[in-house]
Amino acid sequence: MQNKLSFHQSSVSLEIIGLPDYSNNENKDQISIISQWKLTIVDKPLIEGKIEHLRPIMDAFYIYSNLLIKNEIPIYESKLIDIKADNLHIHNIVLKSSKANVKPLLLKIGNSLLSDTINCFDQLNESPKVIIKNDITTNVPKKLRFGLNKKVKFFNIFIPPFFAICSLILFSSSFIYFYSPFENIEKKELTNPE
Amino acid sequence: MRKSYVNNNIKINEFDALIKITVEMSKYLYPYIREILKSKEDIKENSIIWNDFNMRFIELIEERFNIDSIRVKKLLNQAENGEIIIKSLLILSFCISNQGFQKLKNFLYDF
Repeated sequence: MQNKLSFHQSSVSLEIIGLPDYSNNENKDQISIISQWKLTIVDKPLIEGKIEHLRPIMDAFYIYSNLLIKNEIPIYESKLIDIKADNLHIHNIVLKSSKANVKPLLLKIGNSLLSDTINCFDQLNESPKVIIKNDITTNVPKKLRFGLNKKVKFFNIFIPPFFAICSLILFSSSFIYFYSPFENIEKKELTNPE
Repeated sequence: MRKSYVNNNIKINEFDALIKITVEMSKYLYPYIREILKSKEDIKENSIIWNDFNMRFIELIEERFNIDSIRVKKLLNQAENGEIIIKSLLILSFCISNQGFQKLKNFLYDF
């Protein structure tokens, strides 16, 4: 008999079906061997997939929502899922099937459904009854990882000269107080007596 | 930005307390936040909620903020303030979980 757990948030619900790992002395009602998951969004087709797809899809939503907030261009692309913004209010999701000859599933969701979905994933992450192996570093697409490293490197290159220039400006501005224009005029008069 | 002549720096425990209050309020107000976001998605059919919210937001800004500041003027401009409001509402709606306190703190530090 498999355990079933549901997480609801307004128009979205996430269902997790699986078994506890008895070899790890887990309780009867726990799930750590997930056999099936279903993401239901009202008025949209049902999303379900293999267990190895759940974590990448969750990460895609988390990364995309972070990009959306941080004023960056919100685009997430991977082998499994693409999320792009139509505008600030509507988001296009393309779910690609691992099976051949299956067309990708296209979904359009608004900010309300996006936040419902994120909150469902949050509930799953915080649930003590479901254990999902966390392996975030392998799930971040190579393109994005490169982007993050590039950003860090850019700041490492940019910040030292920026501070150097600022300190030069501050240091040199203090010399304004030592500069005496009358002395200079006197010197000029001495060199050019005419 | 506020109409205040006192310019004290906020202490770290006060900052944390404000974040905790904000997260608890967002949990409580999530259905309303969601409806405001939804009304902006389909502004032609459902503009009443968004317009009411925006009007009240502007009223409060005028009441409590220094309207001579350029940043505050941006908030008052209905053509420009949409993005700021939507992003603020999204941040609040993403932070209603039990880990919401830490999430909101991270969002604010990254801002």
